[in-house]
Amino acid sequence: MNTSYTGRWLVINLTSGEIIEEKVTPELIKVFLGGRGMGAKQLWDRIVVDTDPLGESNVLIFAPGVLSGTSAPCSGRTTLLAKGPSTGHYLKTNVGGHLGISLKMAGTDGLVFTGQAAQPVYFVVTPDRCRLEPARKLWGQGVRATTRALKEQYGQGAEIACIGPAGERQVLFASVMTSMYNAAARGGIGAVMGSKNLKAVVVDPANGRVNVTDPTGFAHAVQQARDALYNDSVAHDLHKFGTARDVDVLNELHLLPAFNFQRSQLSGEVRSLSGRTWSELGYLRRIVGCGACIYSCHRFTGIEQGPFTGTFSGGPEYETVAAFGSGCGVFDPEPVFAANALCNDLGLDTISTGNVIQWAMECVQRGILTSTDCDGIDLRFGAGDAVVKVVEKIGYREGIGDLLAEGVARAAKQVGRGSNQWAIEARGLEQSNVETRGAYSYALAFAVNPRGPDHLHSECLAEFGGTREGIQLIERIAGDEKYAIPNTEDKRAEIVRWHEDIYAISDALGICAFATTAAYSLHEALIVNLLKTATGIALDVEELMRAGKRIVTLERCFNLRAGLVPKKDDRLPWRIMHESQPDLPRGGEPITPERLKRMLSEYYRLHSWDKDGLPTEAVLHELDLSFTLPGLSEVGLQQM
Amino acid sequence: MGRLVVEEERCTGCIGCMLACSLSKEGAFSLSLSRINVLRDEAVADFRPRVCVQCSEAPCIVVCPVNALSRDMQTGAIHLDQQSCSGCQECVDACPYDGVRFDDSRGLPLICDLCGGSPSCVEACRFPLSIRYEGGDKR
Repeated sequence: MNTSYTGRWLVINLTSGEIIEEKVTPELIKVFLGGRGMGAKQLWDRIVVDTDPLGESNVLIFAPGVLSGTSAPCSGRTTLLAKGPSTGHYLKTNVGGHLGISLKMAGTDGLVFTGQAAQPVYFVVTPDRCRLEPARKLWGQGVRATTRALKEQYGQGAEIACIGPAGERQVLFASVMTSMYNAAARGGIGAVMGSKNLKAVVVDPANGRVNVTDPTGFAHAVQQARDALYNDSVAHDLHKFGTARDVDVLNELHLLPAFNFQRSQLSGEVRSLSGRTWSELGYLRRIVGCGACIYSCHRFTGIEQGPFTGTFSGGPEYETVAAFGSGCGVFDPEPVFAANALCNDLGLDTISTGNVIQWAMECVQRGILTSTDCDGIDLRFGAGDAVVKVVEKIGYREGIGDLLAEGVARAAKQVGRGSNQWAIEARGLEQSNVETRGAYSYALAFAVNPRGPDHLHSECLAEFGGTREGIQLIERIAGDEKYAIPNTEDKRAEIVRWHEDIYAISDALGICAFATTAAYSLHEALIVNLLKTATGIALDVEELMRAGKRIVTLERCFNLRAGLVPKKDDRLPWRIMHESQPDLPRGGEPITPERLKRMLSEYYRLHSWDKDGLPTEAVLHELDLSFTLPGLSEVGLQQM
Repeated sequence: MGRLVVEEERCTGCIGCMLACSLSKEGAFSLSLSRINVLRDEAVADFRPRVCVQCSEAPCIVVCPVNALSRDMQTGAIHLDQQSCSGCQECVDACPYDGVRFDDSRGLPLICDLCGGSPSCVEACRFPLSIRYEGGDKR
């Protein structure tokens, strides 16, 4: 039967150079689908309890979605997975660009890199063959130069995923970049790739093809999905202004983090940071779409005059603008564009890079770090030039950059003097940019995210009640539209639960989560149709969402086996849990440990986990996850 | 008669048009068998869709040595008679818009037929509107 699966996983042992083709059984496919789901299963099977994230026994997985390679809207995404070096826990990071389509056209549902190469190498895969090649000449090169060199050799049609100098130096928040400007950013996935001496993956789709089970039915399902997104109230704004339009939105909601989460609402100075202004200010060069995306929220920007002349790059996205702009107290957009371009070329996660620089700035504000500590750089809030200089130092681990390259948790531990209190991290991962003291679903979602506190596991935009689709969704999952307000504990667990399941499904199928949890119009029934006509896998909506829940639960099991202690680790950054946010209405109380505990209890209950946050044996059986029981027992976890 | 109108600068490089085209014409997804081809230089975000724009005096028809190409007067599209085609690729070279690709495996040019008046590539480009179908009754 024709299906959008290629049926081929490649396991590349970088230590021995051996490449093995593995078939995945239809039974396993039906349970874990693909992308993030199948990746999570591979990770569970291949990682042992004491795997060092930067050691030989870690694995690095590239898993395009089930629908990647098809015309399903926004379906071209790929999930990268490993045991994460910043947290020591599960790490999935999802990337757009054209990698997913190319991997599927090249005839593979996933790549698993094991071991460590003795010398730098890159991997080439085409529909007909695959091999490792020496990468000595590429080592040390930035992302742009690496991509360009490989495209010269393999043609413009080849897709390149690579690390930059930051990944080579195992900066703990190094990214893997693809299509030159798209980042698998979070958690240090690039450091894992660097630790394996793997510089790049070259994917040549050549004459490859991707089939679907029912081409006519699929074309119809695609058209329905396109119609839904075309009529969505958010999708057009995403197209016109990109994600950085959210600078205005979050600021109006008093939820725009600024000055390292000391502020959350600013006056007009944020306007120039907003994606709504870039066209009139002359920065916007092109609206860019990831593979198969229909609304194209990505940007390409450049600067033609002034001190940053010649800066050009993909992005910046909202998160980047918040990280280097409002977060660092920088309101001139040009250093923000420059920092973004540097991160893209060095292969750095902009969220973590901005976060750790903000922490250092607050250390300077409090007199804990001096300009001598910062290599003579005056790293005060608002110093855009200083931000750009420090980004480069981080990428190359020079001077202060070497300390910051360890991530904010480790840097704060080293500097001490209470600086952990303004290290905006949990579990070792730097938090992304929303003021969670005024957005309780986000707070809960961040506390339980298996990779650490960010929005890319359960993006609960609907709680703001800002769109008709969001309000309708809240009514559907919480029983009443009155719960579409962000600063209440009520029904937050229900909201998080729905979002994390649909998010897992989106990542498994390769669908951009903006289509399912920002635009919301690519709803479950449409996804069911796309999956069925592409693969023949006929799930109803309930079964689809259960598949999402299964992925989320497996990730929880992975972390429990890796040493996660829910009482200690299901938490938020210290500042969020202990300090008020004065810019929020009604005093902006912290998400206190008690408040968080109440929300967590409800969340555990909805998951059928016990009061300590451990999945029960019954729910593991129900979700076809019984295979995790021996592994959990091995580390002394007894299910109820 | 309708025709495809391309505004290059609006193209976002998503290649949704290529995927839609290959599904419509081949029943599967293929970047090499799509009638429309987007040239992408991602380094500078330069994206250029290349597709048959149904020239009023079509060089491909003129140069074809075996008269395998003709115009469908109803849709305005160029029609390929596969039986007559010798696979010489004169049409590929003659097109001033790089709008004709060649399928090596079958030895035939890939000729856009406007999907009979409802081009699938246009449906995939509803946000950027880089490719539009003008002048024809949509079927």
